[in-house]
Amino acid sequence: MKNRLKVLRAERNWTQADLARVLDVTRQTVNAIETGKFDPSLPLAFKAARTFGLTIEQIFDDESEG
Amino acid sequence: MDNQTTLQQRMKRSSRTIFVWASAWLVSLALIAFGPKFLWDYAPTFSIISIVINLFMGYRMIIAHKQQLAAMDEMQRTIHMNAMAISLGTSLVFGAVYGLLYPIQLLSFSPNPANILFVMGLSYMFSVFIGFRKYL
Repeated sequence: MKNRLKVLRAERNWTQADLARVLDVTRQTVNAIETGKFDPSLPLAFKAARTFGLTIEQIFDDESEG
Repeated sequence: MDNQTTLQQRMKRSSRTIFVWASAWLVSLALIAFGPKFLWDYAPTFSIISIVINLFMGYRMIIAHKQQLAAMDEMQRTIHMNAMAISLGTSLVFGAVYGLLYPIQLLSFSPNPANILFVMGLSYMFSVFIGFRKYL
């Protein structure tokens, strides 16, 4: 699943470790989500959306949708 | 930014709990193995008591592992759950064929069940390693 986490994080000058702290996950998990290797659960996606003040759809893009 | 500390604290606390109960379980297992011979001359009452103690320690160790799984973040949990599935399947397949080696005379000695535990542990560790590499 594509997402804008890396861009949003960079806009705030946050490291992966900073975002991991906010989301209560490991830095490896943030990295895996950013690179599209791991899809977050709905609660984690909501948490990320709240963190950046956006909706889930503004951060995550379901590539399977036409 | 306090949440990461929370995750780290959770993992640290659960690891410490696992260490305590796993150590207690191991000691109680050693008590069952060596107590009858060296401590109470095979008195059944003491052997039964030591077994009850061991089962209790084992129960607490299982709960501690379950708590650690709950303390992980979702990617870690996915990796460990996958590893458990692979480990369980591997042990089942290996254990089934290993148990047949002696009856069909491909082994000259009776299979030791501890070897299945060894395969279980090894396949679990290997699967966790592969799992983490997959997501990095």
